[in-house]
Amino acid sequence: MSIDRSIDLHRRNWPLIIGTAMLGVFILTAIFADLIAPYDAGEQSRREPAAPAATIAFADGHPIVKGVRMTDPISRTYEIDETRPAEIRFFTRGYHYRLLGVLPLDVHLFGTENADDAVRINLLGTDDLGRDRFSRLLAAIRFSLIVCPLGALLASVLGVLIGTASGYAGHLADTAIMGVTDAVISLPSLIIILAARVAFPLELPPLTAAAMLITIFTLTGWAEMARLARGLVRKTRGTDYIAAAKVSGVRPAGILFRHILPNIARPLITQATLILPAFLLAEAALSYLGVGLQEPAASLGNMLSSAGDIDQLKQHPLLLLSPAIAIALFVLAVRLLNMGIKEKDASN
Amino acid sequence: MLILLTTAVTFFLLAAAGGDAFSSLRDNPQVSERTIEQLRKSYGLDRPVSTRYLSWLGGALTADLGESFYFKTPVSSLVASRFAATALMSLAALAFAVAIALVLSFLQVRYRSSLLAKLIEGVVLISASMPRIVLGLAGLLIAVTLAVTSTFWIAAVALAVPLIAAFLAQFHDSLVVAMSEDYVRTARAKGLTETAVILRHAFRGAINPSLTLLGVSLGGLLGGSVIVEAIFGIQGIGSLMVLAVRNRDIPLIMGIMVITSLAVWAGNAIAEALQLLNDRRLRTAETE
Repeated sequence: MSIDRSIDLHRRNWPLIIGTAMLGVFILTAIFADLIAPYDAGEQSRREPAAPAATIAFADGHPIVKGVRMTDPISRTYEIDETRPAEIRFFTRGYHYRLLGVLPLDVHLFGTENADDAVRINLLGTDDLGRDRFSRLLAAIRFSLIVCPLGALLASVLGVLIGTASGYAGHLADTAIMGVTDAVISLPSLIIILAARVAFPLELPPLTAAAMLITIFTLTGWAEMARLARGLVRKTRGTDYIAAAKVSGVRPAGILFRHILPNIARPLITQATLILPAFLLAEAALSYLGVGLQEPAASLGNMLSSAGDIDQLKQHPLLLLSPAIAIALFVLAVRLLNMGIKEKDASN
Repeated sequence: MLILLTTAVTFFLLAAAGGDAFSSLRDNPQVSERTIEQLRKSYGLDRPVSTRYLSWLGGALTADLGESFYFKTPVSSLVASRFAATALMSLAALAFAVAIALVLSFLQVRYRSSLLAKLIEGVVLISASMPRIVLGLAGLLIAVTLAVTSTFWIAAVALAVPLIAAFLAQFHDSLVVAMSEDYVRTARAKGLTETAVILRHAFRGAINPSLTLLGVSLGGLLGGSVIVEAIFGIQGIGSLMVLAVRNRDIPLIMGIMVITSLAVWAGNAIAEALQLLNDRRLRTAETE
């Protein structure tokens, strides 16, 4: 029966496959952000502020990038400088970084000749300060993919702890805990997150900002998880196999960790995958509003702040909205994954 | 109860975290420690937290939410004037989302298992994955290219799109349930067309479970309005909250928490009342 299903090609779980693949690309991007990025996220090229995306072409079978020349420094319009093509090189040397925070390297996937007046390759153009938008986007994705899963993990653990406690507690404590939980769920999460934001200083260096975001996400994001865990614990406690475990003398902690939690893990993990995009959006929103990760560090939110500049938005809409596209793709990936998991559960 | 809980938790957490509207003055060498102490005293910030909360609560019961540190005006009038813009936008978004979801759910059930139904499913999956920050900026781009001067409707649509998927799922599920009920079978037996059966009979039965969702979604709208208001420069509660956070204006934040809780509570209460109105069975059960 199960063999039949696994070779049935018509019933492939496409949402699961596509979602996993998209998420895999995001994770690889985050891990190898420094390797893929041709420039440091903070490096400014004053000659090329608000430049358009680089033009890639082929000459004699080699990929080249065409240089640009600014024609009007006020409106910052550029034209292609045909006299200055530069060969695109692969695995070039560039700025120094540590892969995964350990391995010191200076190799980059692609780039141009390493000279001061060299033609730069800005795949997504540059921002107001002449920083390479593609490199910044990679750094931003990495920041989000470190902060959000950590926050989601901690919030989930806290939620399961609170929910389990509530599920085991007496009537009064249970009512009190669930009262707070329902209050947190019913209020708009962004308003709660903003209120919690006041507890921290306004301007923060990147590492402190990351720690703050994780703290805020943990303290505000546990409620849905707690309600789900409580319900599941209550339901499981009354089943026969738990009664059997009790009779055979398993200690309460043993029952909880060895019998109840493994049995309710699946729905809890599904819920955790829903928290992840919510945190990514919250981080983007806070940084967009200027109270999350602040300049010069790159985040999806603060990169989008510059899209409020209407002249530039008109000129290069896709470039300015590229962080927004990354956000939408990430949310879609997690949604597909979630759909796929549900479909898989339903077919088993 | 909800409001009491929210305000108490916010108040004590913010007090425990330390820092107030004047703590940033410490960085200024021109301002002496004594001036700061005097300022804090005049705003009553030198008293213990519990006393402060009780006096704030006493005021709140008579609609006096204190004075904003930043705007130097009463919080209650400030919040009330800004709330109107947000409420109007949220209601427009709600109406839009409901209308679209109703039409789509009708099409999905009327032409079930057709290409159209599959297409709707796909569009909804993508639109549900579109966060408001993305929709808002895309809306801004549309407003800029079309040179639209009034962005109200664009903002409302950006606010509404993520809701459509949730509404549609709910409408669709309740419609499918209603379609297998006896009264729908009776209506079909009378010889009504499928369209008439859905519109006149099944919808009425399907509305009730969806009303709860309408009430609950109000909270999400208020949260989403923060980002939409920031993008379109709308002077509502959301943008007020951002200002309050930037200026560590705690009385104002408390005021916004109060009005948000009130709005969420009212949304749930209205949904419950509508449910009672719509379903006579519930009403008789209550009076018995």
